[in-house]
Amino acid sequence: MAAVQVSEAEKVYLMHGVRDGLRLDGRRCEDYRHMEIETDVVSNTDGSAKISLGHTDVLVGVKAEIGKPKPTVPDEGYLEFFVDCSANATPEFEGRGGEELGVELSNILYKVFNNRHSVDLRSLCICPGENCWVLYVDVLLLQCDGNLFDAISIAIKAALFNTRIPKVHISEDEEGGKEIELSDDPYDCMRLNVENVPCIVTLCKIGHRHVVDATLQEKACSVASLLISVTHKGMVTCVRKMGRGSLDPESIFEMTEAGKRVGKTLHAPLMELLQKEESLGKKRQKVGFLG
Amino acid sequence: MPVDTRRIRGPEESQSPLLFLAPDKVPEASSRQGVRANGDVRPVFARCGLISQAKGSAYLEAGNTKIICSVYGPKETERKDETDMKTGRLVCDFRLAPFSCMKRGAWIQGSEERDLSATLLESLQPGVCLHRYPRSQIEVNVIVLENDGSILAHAVTCASMALADGGIEMYDVVLGCALRQNGNTCLVDPSYSEECGTWQEGYGENQGCVTVALLPNLNQVSGLNADGEMREDTLADAVRTCMDGCHKLYPVVHQALTRAVKRKAPPPEK
Repeated sequence: MAAVQVSEAEKVYLMHGVRDGLRLDGRRCEDYRHMEIETDVVSNTDGSAKISLGHTDVLVGVKAEIGKPKPTVPDEGYLEFFVDCSANATPEFEGRGGEELGVELSNILYKVFNNRHSVDLRSLCICPGENCWVLYVDVLLLQCDGNLFDAISIAIKAALFNTRIPKVHISEDEEGGKEIELSDDPYDCMRLNVENVPCIVTLCKIGHRHVVDATLQEKACSVASLLISVTHKGMVTCVRKMGRGSLDPESIFEMTEAGKRVGKTLHAPLMELLQKEESLGKKRQKVGFLG
Repeated sequence: MPVDTRRIRGPEESQSPLLFLAPDKVPEASSRQGVRANGDVRPVFARCGLISQAKGSAYLEAGNTKIICSVYGPKETERKDETDMKTGRLVCDFRLAPFSCMKRGAWIQGSEERDLSATLLESLQPGVCLHRYPRSQIEVNVIVLENDGSILAHAVTCASMALADGGIEMYDVVLGCALRQNGNTCLVDPSYSEECGTWQEGYGENQGCVTVALLPNLNQVSGLNADGEMREDTLADAVRTCMDGCHKLYPVVHQALTRAVKRKAPPPEK
């Protein structure tokens, strides 16, 4: 992870601030930083989204390919995740430096998104046992300024919302051989239902309190954080304790409750925003990477 | 031994026959066939110091789940580039033996095992006084011989016993307990079939697995890992139940450690 140097005095200042409910950038403990989302940013993907949360920048591309369903679940498609920690974000990621973090991130993304509660995996099925859609979700970290998980999860939700999978038709010849035909109309697409796709909320324990959306400085002051993924209904789909410290049982209950509350309030504005952006259609002003 | 593919005329693609078995149903409320109640942990057998070369080691058996753990070190750290040299480093290696599951696994560590290693490390770290071992690393190797559910939870317990047996300074032992939530019933310390169970068709509500690692004397949760879809209050209850389960394990671990210490340094005969 990108490291920042925080002196003892700075730590004390920051921790005392959090104790009194004040943070360095003037936010309250359960506030997110300014967030900007843009979908459909990469033309070669089936769905893409870019998010910037403070100085954290994440780009997600979704590509759909036809593959073979897993033998244990013949009537479902699946998602594949790959997180690339670009050396642009910090020089530590150069070469194989970012690999460890990338694997850790993608493992958690599998747990959070690749299950039937979050995405309707059955809708990805083309022909049970033979063909299904495989969604390759590639995450690129462009800038790291803390709270990667939350940013990535929101970007994935936006990218999945934006994903258009071409409709296919299965025709059968006389010998029973099956053939997959792609529709001629490029606008004849299937959309995914992203309503249940969860968002991750990471709560960092600082002193006796916890903060949402910690920056790198704040993260350096915290020994343990709790990662909670919440759906729009407030169901908790994944909880992980991260970091080298331990947590008091009471604070865990407090943090899951706060995580649920924060996560729930995250979904409605996000969906509204995505729908609004889409309704603009061609009139939408593209911001791109320099915005 | 290389196999001559031309002599064995099998189909090109083959699938494990296990796929075609009817999946076991998760037993409904109070139907663990009367062997144990839903809130009971399986009887645990634990011993320390079975690997003579290692600094510390432990063996743990719960039902058919069998785990061996060995601890090596503290020794000089391998990674010199680490900026923070004031504290020691804990390195965890979690492996499932190829024959431990129903389906044969590979010897090479898969992504699931790497994930388990990371979780094990995060659960153990708060319990070890790493600041007492500057510039050094402690290696913890866990191998699961037989997987009959709740492997992560038992691996945590087993690894902390091995650390204690190796004389590594610790704040507290770390105990692990797992739970399978199935609707309104929860099964503590699930076996493998209970763990997967109707998970395959688990479209129901409140389905999930929770693993908690606890420092019992300090009453601190050092690891929490939950998957599935649960309401927040169910999750809180599940965590509480897991903590109770950990406390039930404590006497067994305590006894095994005292026994190992007595054997290493026999009390003076009067």
